Amino acid sequence: MQQYLDSLIAGGYFAGLPTEVVYLLGMLAVGAVVVFVFILNVAGATTFVERRVWARIHNRVGPNRVGPQGILQWLVDGVKLVMKEDIVPADADPWLFRLAPYIVIMGFVAAFAAIPFGSRLVAADMNLGLLYILTVTSLVVVGILVAGWASNNKWSLIGGIRAAAQIVSYEIPAGLSIMPVVLLTGSLNMNEIIRYQGWMPQDWLLFANPFTFVAFFTFFTAALAEGNRTPFDLPEAESELVAGFVTEYSGVRYLIFFMVEWGNLYIIGALATTLFLGGWHIPPITDNVVLQTILEFVVFFAKSYFWVLVAMWIRATLPRVRVDQLMSICWKYLVPITFANVLLVALWMLLVTPGGFVSRAVAYAMTLLGTVLVLYFFRRVLFHLRRARVRERNQLVLSPLS
Amino acid sequence: MRKKTSYLRNIIDTCTTIFEGMAVTFSHFVRKPTTIQYPDRMPVRVQDSLPFRYRGILEVDLEICTGCLACERACPIDCIVIDVKKDKDAGGMVMTRFDIDMAKCMYCGLCSEPCPTGSIHHTPEFEGADYSLESLIRRFIKDPVVAYKPKKTGETDPEIIPILERGNIYVEEFATPESNKPVGGDKPDPKAEAA
Amino acid sequence: MGLAGFEVEVEREGTQGLETEEMTLNMGPQHPSTHGVLRFVVKADGEVMRQAIPDIGYLHRSIEKISEKVGYHGFMPYTDRVDYVAAMFCNQGWGMACEKLANIEVPKRGEYCRVIASELNRIASHLLSVGTMILDIGATTPFFHAIREREKINDLLEELCGARLTYNYMRIGGVAWDLPPGFVERSIDFLDNFELAAREFEDLITYNKIYVERLIDVCPISAEKAINYNLTGPNLRASGVSYDVRRDDPYSIYRELDFQVPVGKGELGTVGDCFDRYIVRIREMNESVKILRQCFAQIPPGPVIAKVPRKFKPPAGDVFIRVESARGDMGWYVVSDGSEFPYRVKIRTGSFAAMSIIDAISSGIMLADLVAVIASLDIVAPEVDR
Repeated sequence: MQQYLDSLIAGGYFAGLPTEVVYLLGMLAVGAVVVFVFILNVAGATTFVERRVWARIHNRVGPNRVGPQGILQWLVDGVKLVMKEDIVPADADPWLFRLAPYIVIMGFVAAFAAIPFGSRLVAADMNLGLLYILTVTSLVVVGILVAGWASNNKWSLIGGIRAAAQIVSYEIPAGLSIMPVVLLTGSLNMNEIIRYQGWMPQDWLLFANPFTFVAFFTFFTAALAEGNRTPFDLPEAESELVAGFVTEYSGVRYLIFFMVEWGNLYIIGALATTLFLGGWHIPPITDNVVLQTILEFVVFFAKSYFWVLVAMWIRATLPRVRVDQLMSICWKYLVPITFANVLLVALWMLLVTPGGFVSRAVAYAMTLLGTVLVLYFFRRVLFHLRRARVRERNQLVLSPLS
Repeated sequence: MRKKTSYLRNIIDTCTTIFEGMAVTFSHFVRKPTTIQYPDRMPVRVQDSLPFRYRGILEVDLEICTGCLACERACPIDCIVIDVKKDKDAGGMVMTRFDIDMAKCMYCGLCSEPCPTGSIHHTPEFEGADYSLESLIRRFIKDPVVAYKPKKTGETDPEIIPILERGNIYVEEFATPESNKPVGGDKPDPKAEAA
Repeated sequence: MGLAGFEVEVEREGTQGLETEEMTLNMGPQHPSTHGVLRFVVKADGEVMRQAIPDIGYLHRSIEKISEKVGYHGFMPYTDRVDYVAAMFCNQGWGMACEKLANIEVPKRGEYCRVIASELNRIASHLLSVGTMILDIGATTPFFHAIREREKINDLLEELCGARLTYNYMRIGGVAWDLPPGFVERSIDFLDNFELAAREFEDLITYNKIYVERLIDVCPISAEKAINYNLTGPNLRASGVSYDVRRDDPYSIYRELDFQVPVGKGELGTVGDCFDRYIVRIREMNESVKILRQCFAQIPPGPVIAKVPRKFKPPAGDVFIRVESARGDMGWYVVSDGSEFPYRVKIRTGSFAAMSIIDAISSGIMLADLVAVIASLDIVAPEVDR
């Protein structure tokens, strides 16, 4: 990206402007494209995908009337929300109430600047990319608190406070889970972390040693809690607080809050892929740069979206935890485990040479363990299908469309 | 007292139960949904697939209504209004009004039980939504109608026979025994009526 | 905030210089997790609750008074609306009360049909109660699976009596219609599938760690407190008291049927906590399946309704009938003065007592627990207000 802009400046296109301004304009342009073309569509489409995935898990069909297989449902919902009346409660704080959605979406969109969609597709290849993403996604807390307070509604206030407590507490296990990765790769730069890994599963950081394996699961749990997803979706617990901190929001403001929630899922997936699953690495099948970039993008997107689907799946399966249980999970279980993880990875790095026999053997062993777990999972699925006599009753449908 | 579970036990329990739960949900994901996509993506119209006893919107076959007012008396919510008077010129009882207010009707079926001919019965129709409350009142009579007199020797009018047979099916299914007998046989027992 | 009739006390506690105030919240008549239109005025100190004052009457329809106008036969469809989730039991209660007043004996096959319909309805009602409880705790999938099974029961009952919710199946003296052809085979098919679905339910949610942690040790109600507060049905049995009207004060043909009465034992927590109330309902569904299988095997041929005059005039007197409804012991007290219309009908429902205990047990629990407690006590608003 930087080289491209340099070549444009050298070609005399931006006569007179200092290079920093050109870089800024370039970043803004890329940011605008990324945000409006890509992220908002992904976030919107995710709402539709979630409804269909949930519906199949619930033995029912989700929305399938608007457009072929219901694909246009999310667009129509978006248009409906935009057309709604702009309601601001009479006693709500007028400025804060209107400000909250903007803070939230700022925190969300800014994180996409550092996400590496491909080896050459990073909007801002910062040396502190990982730290930047973690920091910027914390702006969402401020937005939620402001939304809860400014609504002048006790239920919203409770929702906002729960959210603040939850997100701030779970920053710590999330950060600590990322530490093993940072220690092993020695860098906070997202592309560097990906370059450390390879395209085969045993080269992924997930299977590098048992401590990063555990770190992945703690990271995923902490990240789900950061994104207010079940089992940690207390701030928007429907059955208790009507809609939590977004009770008083309607129309576009509601749309913004929910787009941020589903887009956040994508950030979680992207982080999980970058840090643990090898990022955009593709098998070396082509030398064409354009084809490589496209394939890298597709691979990265597929891997991140897989984790989005897993998050939806978890949301369909698990009930909600209570606030005090949430805090005890964080402080009594996740923090000690992640902390011990960091110490053990440091010990590992002292004792084991990277690339040596022991580390390769352990990587292969962990890959084997992962494969065994996945196979055992499908074995349990078949057991449940067999017990419910699904084959006999002609109920097996493998395609997600119905 | 709560049984103290150990730290490690908690972690193992959480992981195993979540794993099992996710296996069950995934097994549901690959099954056919049980949704019936009413009203357009269905093999048969819903109304045709409902059981015979389904208590939908009420219907009155005026050709065989005897004007006995048994349904009006039986209705617990007073939604049936019938005007009947004796008219020597027309030869018998003449009905000028037979209104059923479907907005009040609770679809209980108590009116179709005492009907001697089975003229008032429930249909499998349930799509009765409309825009105004007045349109929910079903008025079955436009011009005054002579009430039907069941003939002791059996019905001879070829137009009425099929309606009577259909009514008999309803009587056999819905009437409580000992209080109604199908028409075409003997007269309804006056003792049962007066008791 | 519209707290007419309630005094709002604002308590200021000074703890180490920090003044805290108790918050009064309105869990209003429209709320996604109160089961029907119920209102609670909740006084909470942050997340911890101090008091939950119930406010009922939003669904009062004067059903008991209506009986004095419509007469004995005409009141049967109104009894469906007393508890529309488990309507067969209400039908049975009213039928039994009138039969006792007029000394009518129901034929054997009629009793079997009544029990078949009631037990199917018990399974349906428990499925709904358990499903909504799980939905309130946060898991959305098991609710849909429970509703799917309930829809199959509704299909069966629709075949039997023509309606899916307000059945009006029973009459004074028996039932209105006999079992249609093919009903027994379809029901047994359903029962086989239901047992599989129930086991899947257990794997999915019953012993799920998060779910269990939400429910154990939440508001344990001791046996003594349960008896003092008049709890009945699954709520009472969950507190350890083994009392079931079907076994201890049998009516209809329950003497001839062999079934267990599940009692809460505090296997995962304390006796009488929310988890016990949940697991007692799950086990009761399995028992109902057993009862249904016995009924289908033993049902004798014959008439299904006794001869009852169209103008029903029982002799003057009063009668009290108890029926084991899905929500507890439903009591029907009917006073007759010899005319066609009852003099007074009083219905005692299990949910009414359960509402009264909420205030007593809800101090010190969290807001999320209040939802779990209301759901586990299986309160339906129409029963509370009639």
